[in-house]
Amino acid sequence: MEERMSTSASCLEGHAALVAEAEALWKDYSLTSVREWKKESGGIAIGYMPVYVPRELLWAQNALPVGILGGGDDLEIIRGDAYYQSYICHIPRSTIELGLNGSLDCLDGVLFPATCDVIRNLSGMWKMQFPDKLVRYLDVPQDFDPAMGGAFYRHELQEITESLPGIGGRSYDEDALRTAIQVYNESRQAVADLYDLRRREPWKIPTHELYVLLRAGMVLPPEEHTTMLRAYETAVSDDESRRPMDQARVLITGSFCEQPPLGLIKTLERAGCYIVDDDFVQVHRWIVGDIPVDGDPLGNLVTAYLENSIESPIRYIDDGVKGQGLVERVEHYGAEGVLFCAPSFCDPALLDQPMAVKAVEDAGIPWTAFKYSENSGQFQVIREQAGTFADSIKLWSGE
Amino acid sequence: MTAGERQQSPEFLTTAGIDVGSAAIKVAIVQGDGNGDETMLAGVTQRLRRRDPLPVTEDALEEALEKAGVRRDELDYIATTGEGEIVTFRTGHFYGMTTHARGGLFLDPEIRAIVDIGALHARAVLIDDRAKVLGYRMTSQCASGSGQFLENISRYLGVTIAEIGPLSKDADEPEKCSSICAVLAETDVINMVSRGISIPNILKGIHLSMAGRYFRLLTSTKAEGAVMVTGGLAMDIGLVAALREIVEEQGANLDVRTHPDSVLAGAIGAALWGGFRARKLKKAGLSFSSGSDS
Repeated sequence: MEERMSTSASCLEGHAALVAEAEALWKDYSLTSVREWKKESGGIAIGYMPVYVPRELLWAQNALPVGILGGGDDLEIIRGDAYYQSYICHIPRSTIELGLNGSLDCLDGVLFPATCDVIRNLSGMWKMQFPDKLVRYLDVPQDFDPAMGGAFYRHELQEITESLPGIGGRSYDEDALRTAIQVYNESRQAVADLYDLRRREPWKIPTHELYVLLRAGMVLPPEEHTTMLRAYETAVSDDESRRPMDQARVLITGSFCEQPPLGLIKTLERAGCYIVDDDFVQVHRWIVGDIPVDGDPLGNLVTAYLENSIESPIRYIDDGVKGQGLVERVEHYGAEGVLFCAPSFCDPALLDQPMAVKAVEDAGIPWTAFKYSENSGQFQVIREQAGTFADSIKLWSGE
Repeated sequence: MTAGERQQSPEFLTTAGIDVGSAAIKVAIVQGDGNGDETMLAGVTQRLRRRDPLPVTEDALEEALEKAGVRRDELDYIATTGEGEIVTFRTGHFYGMTTHARGGLFLDPEIRAIVDIGALHARAVLIDDRAKVLGYRMTSQCASGSGQFLENISRYLGVTIAEIGPLSKDADEPEKCSSICAVLAETDVINMVSRGISIPNILKGIHLSMAGRYFRLLTSTKAEGAVMVTGGLAMDIGLVAALREIVEEQGANLDVRTHPDSVLAGAIGAALWGGFRARKLKKAGLSFSSGSDS
């Protein structure tokens, strides 16, 4: 990474160079950096779809976890549309396009977590299209009793550990998993520190920069990514030219799977919003806090999932308390309003939205809602909506 | 109280509003006490004429500050509107509807709706007596309802923008043209010229066609009573007259008004909302000073 960064740094400095570097990594859909890592390390690469997989498990067996978050607004869909009806979200069609055009051929396997029916369906298609690769649907428990859901989830994870040596990964080793857990604890802490800095001083960390950095974490080895995040944190903390503006503090929710185009994030910021919390690239923040490294590491991963994962539409939560986590986040991040920003046809986000809306309304929090697709190119309507929403917060909130 | 006394009084805040339009930059310097005693110290309009908007904005702000006799570091808030997101030294930004509503109400406290007609679009906004936006309707992306379209037509006809309004008022037999599509309307105009239709009649026909769109926007917002025309085309007396004619023809309960400073409504509104926010932030113990860079 140092070599790559020094090239960029020749024309850009500090955080700008880091952001440019991160964006180049993200936009390289043919995964050059992953191919290079495989060559240098002799390891394997395992792709994973949103929202969450236990990356520690892969890293412990010398498998680089590679996040697949669709083709965004860069990819022309030629074959992908033939696989999905028009009333299905966009991410599966761009993902299958990436698979069919060879961009993902360096991946030795792909994990499809239980996010929704579309992702489950995509795992079946992947099996048929790429019979020589490891394809695994990662079922996750919706029963959080350790004896029931915990035992089930442990079994799922064990099957993954057993499948990796057959395709070139190392055998499962408890110490290696402990080390990997520690590596990802540091990664999570670096992400959490940036979110905390943005909460306190959102003008220091524009979300369109933070987002790009998070995307780089989809392809970089975790230690390199943590180094990048820490370097960015130092650079922006030292940048006194970034001064506060009078903007509305908003929280974005609903974008946990198919990601919004960068232009949409920039549009929201230009429309007068400071985004102080979001659910973009959520794998980085799915587990809250550190996972213990002592004791049974596999058991620790299971317990973290059961007890320390965030509230999400893809995780079972009783109707009575649904939205409570969102309201708590609004309070913690000092948000003045909520933007429900979900991909079109995203069942988990849109089916949960009425309950979440009720929770924020009951708490007296202003909100507005709109939809996007990962390849949306026109934001004028959203700009107007977000702009007037920001104005209404600044001028009329508290009435 | 004189401007100088106001400047010294802690009750009064001095703010700048910058409306970055697609054809012109408008700047207003305003002083107010937050209780209705508000004065515009200076207003400046500079046409862009294909220049980079940022240096023009800097220049317009300096000109307005000089006119107002205010130093830049004495400003309590620099508010932008329109495409003002590009202005890096702003304290805050407000959306166009919000600022035109506030500016319109400042210019005429009786109005309860505005029609903002800019270079690229038009919108009707229904407001209450505090300038809170209650509803709005905008023209679609079609250019035929906009100032840019009128500017193009003036070039075909060989008249200046300033001549459009007075010429239109001289019409005796306006020639109707397409109100749907700018491309078709331009073709209409070229045909009219070759058919020997007089320039006043062509312009009046275009004004009536555009005014018809604004009237539909207004009625769809359920506006009633006094309506202020704001934005760059508020100074086009032919267009305002055409809108009044349509209102009368339709028997609508609308009183179409304009003001010599209507073109500055967005900038005035931004400056006034800036003052409102500066007070609110001060009360909350926060201060977001404007940057000095450009």
